[in-house]
Amino acid sequence: MNYGSHGKLLRINLTHGTIESETFDESFYRLYPGGKALAAYLLLREVKPGCNPLGPANALILANGLLTGAPISTATRFTAAARSPLTGGYGESEAGGFWGPELRLAGWEGIIVTGRAEHPVYIAIRDDRVAIRDARHLWGREPEEAQATIREELVDRLTRVLQIGRGGENLVRYAALTNELRHFNGRAGMGAVMGAKNLKAIAVRGSGRYAAIAHDPQAIAEIGRRLAKQAKEHPQSWDLQEKGTPGLVSGLNAAGILPTRNFHQGAFDGVDQVRWEVYEKELLTARRSCYACAVRCKREVEVHDRYDVSSSYGGPEYEAIGGFGPNCGVDDLQAVAKANELCGRYTLDAISTGSAIAFAMECFEHGLIGPQDTDGLDLRFGNAAAMVKAVEWIGERRGIGDLLAEGVKRAAEVIGGDARYFAMHVKGQELPMHDPRGKVGVGLAYAISEVGAEHLSAYHDPAIANPNSITFKGAMPLGITEPLPARDLSPQKVAYYYKLENWSSAGKAIGFCYFGPAPRSFISAADTVAAVRAATGWDWTVEDLLRVGERATNLARVFIVREGFSRTDDVLPERLFQPLENGALQGVALSHADFEAAMTELYRLKGWDSVTATPTRERLEALDIGWAADLI
Amino acid sequence: MQLYLGGHLNWYEPCKRGWITVPLAETTPLAAVLARLGVPASEVAIVTINRRVVALQDARVSDGDTVELYPPIGGG
Repeated sequence: MNYGSHGKLLRINLTHGTIESETFDESFYRLYPGGKALAAYLLLREVKPGCNPLGPANALILANGLLTGAPISTATRFTAAARSPLTGGYGESEAGGFWGPELRLAGWEGIIVTGRAEHPVYIAIRDDRVAIRDARHLWGREPEEAQATIREELVDRLTRVLQIGRGGENLVRYAALTNELRHFNGRAGMGAVMGAKNLKAIAVRGSGRYAAIAHDPQAIAEIGRRLAKQAKEHPQSWDLQEKGTPGLVSGLNAAGILPTRNFHQGAFDGVDQVRWEVYEKELLTARRSCYACAVRCKREVEVHDRYDVSSSYGGPEYEAIGGFGPNCGVDDLQAVAKANELCGRYTLDAISTGSAIAFAMECFEHGLIGPQDTDGLDLRFGNAAAMVKAVEWIGERRGIGDLLAEGVKRAAEVIGGDARYFAMHVKGQELPMHDPRGKVGVGLAYAISEVGAEHLSAYHDPAIANPNSITFKGAMPLGITEPLPARDLSPQKVAYYYKLENWSSAGKAIGFCYFGPAPRSFISAADTVAAVRAATGWDWTVEDLLRVGERATNLARVFIVREGFSRTDDVLPERLFQPLENGALQGVALSHADFEAAMTELYRLKGWDSVTATPTRERLEALDIGWAADLI
Repeated sequence: MQLYLGGHLNWYEPCKRGWITVPLAETTPLAAVLARLGVPASEVAIVTINRRVVALQDARVSDGDTVELYPPIGGG
């Protein structure tokens, strides 16, 4: 009986040039049903503690979500995981686009890449035919050119290419992976791991059909059609289609939580130059989609004015606008678009890149670095041209860019003095563009996430603030019954955060984009359950999915505990405990006492030791992963 | 009054416009303006009048005001 999976993984050892197939059964898939859940399991199994993240002993895991490739809007994602070269802990990042679905249609649930090739190579997959090919001629090439060459060599213009640019080749610690040039596994340095393996790209083409593995293909098709219609009619997904994430800028500014000048401020005086209406007028050329997704939230931009920005690399999302714009004090949206395009060319994580430059700007303004360190680059807040140049130098590891390519934590250690106070990171990963002083659950997420500061590890507080809102109603099936203000940090909020984190984690196992499920968007919990049931035939409920999410998070936690992380690493930058300097929340700060009390409560709910932040054997056994307790 | 319906709030406005002009003869509760436009108050999380944040239930607006409204902003 079909259960929504091929039950097959591809294992490639680049040192030995071996290619093998590995199978699993339905009972295994019930425990680790794709995406984050499968990736975290495989990473724990494949990687020995203490391995060099940029050495051959690290593994790069690519794992499709449970529904990835199904004709269901937003079910497009796959997880990339490895020991992170940025944090030394659990590295994980999800991407949509087309590569994951294509891998599914080629008959594979995931790929385990180990070892290191002697010279640059790429992997070519066409269904069950897999080859390792020479990529020496592609090394150093930009993604657009590399993709075209690979398609030419494979005589297949529809092959989907996952690859790294020069940032990955140069081992920038927050280098990304890109597929179709504009969909990124952005976070945690997966591109550097791939670069360290001398692996330029993985090209995939599949000839299968999702219906062939679905338990109930007719039901999947019906749910897919209904959700596609709903995506166009639901206010939140309509908004994502209309404006995409760039629409968030002005609202966060009004709320006083638009990170500005390296998180000193929550409102940006130049916001009118970087808001959606300017984006639409000056930059936007098209709205694009991921595989089979009716939301169509991706933007495409092109401009030939103050900067030349190619349309090949998509367009800046909110995170890039916030990071290269207000957080660097830059009010030139064309410069932001150029910085974003360079991140596409070099395959750099736009969040960490923007944050590293904001950090450098603050160091520069405080005299911790000067023109002698920056080859004369005037790295002050607001200098758009310097910001753009810094992105290029990070990708090239040139001059000050070489230091910033190490991430803000390492850079601050080298610069010394007060630089550590300017380094906005958790566990070494830079903060996304959401300020926990205005939505405190995001602070819990940043602090506790095994990946380091991450904004998609739980749904954000405003979703559950108003009892009559669409978002609150969307959260109710998760057991959230009482509205709580965005700045509430009571035990009840912590309990709700715990549910929202498990739900988000489940979404990453399912392969849903953050813009699919409620409470953020249009797919109700009931429809999520219905889709999973139709795919697998399993009689699962919301509770079962929450358990999948929790199990995945616990596997990731076991991984970082094994690497020596503890509660002392689950901490926010001190700046968030200082008052915001302007905007609607001027004077507002997090409280150390309240935050630590909330973290203690969260560990209790998770069944973790509150001193070491380690999962107890009892909790791991309750999650059916008692074996993981033996690893720590 | 110039009114900006941010995020998904302009889904409720028939022409799906961001900025709209709302003529006001006298000072009016903002909630009444929203009711007239068909924008549900339950979806409004942030209100600014002339760039100052106010609570929806206390908000009164006059012609010449610039008003921005946003729904809960859930990240992403």
